[in-house]
Amino acid sequence: MSEYAARVVIAEVEKREGVETELIDVALLPIPVDDAGPGAKDPELAEKMNRADALVLVAPEYNHGYPGLLKHVLDTNLPEYIHKAAGIVGVSASVFGGARVIENLLPVLRELGLVAIFWDVNFTTVRARFDDDGVLIDDSFLAIDKFLDELLWMAETLRYGRERITLGGSG
Amino acid sequence: MSATVICPKCGTPMNHQADKLVEPTSREEAEASTALGGVIIAVFACPNCGWIESERERAEDEPG
Repeated sequence: MSEYAARVVIAEVEKREGVETELIDVALLPIPVDDAGPGAKDPELAEKMNRADALVLVAPEYNHGYPGLLKHVLDTNLPEYIHKAAGIVGVSASVFGGARVIENLLPVLRELGLVAIFWDVNFTTVRARFDDDGVLIDDSFLAIDKFLDELLWMAETLRYGRERITLGGSG
Repeated sequence: MSATVICPKCGTPMNHQADKLVEPTSREEAEASTALGGVIIAVFACPNCGWIESERERAEDEPG
């Protein structure tokens, strides 16, 4: 169901003028599981993270937490994330719409150097939101426009800062 | 830390945008990083093409 949610989100991102985006499925990445952190880095993913100005994490919630695979993949990079915008889309079968997975991801994003925005998207009762073909049949309370407005503002602002404002004020 | 880092993609001088404390990845780094409990990486961004580079701080650069 998270893939369905991700496709809805990326379709909305693609509507935004001047934005290039790509859906990355962490389950399909060639990341080894017998190492972790930079030791498991995939050069292709690292290049994409380096080029990105913002990340949207579409995360299913299981037992109030985030999938271990998502954390494993996020941990493979770090400098590539610093001072870049991040927004979280929570997906769950409950009425909470992944609120707990979002809260649990926030300290992880902070340590990775990402800057989390204050809008979220919550796919509540996700099994009732899509039909059997993955078509969204209920878009109520998704607030994707507000989420993307804030994400793109933050992405542009942080890019300016990364490139123009020097740490310590000497730039 | 390097005075100037040049973008490997386009040759433009990069902007020093962040210092980040990270965990040591070797015994040498671990032994040299007792003051802050980790190693500082300096992160740079290219004002021309946006590319990101980073440098690990040498032990003798560490404060404290």
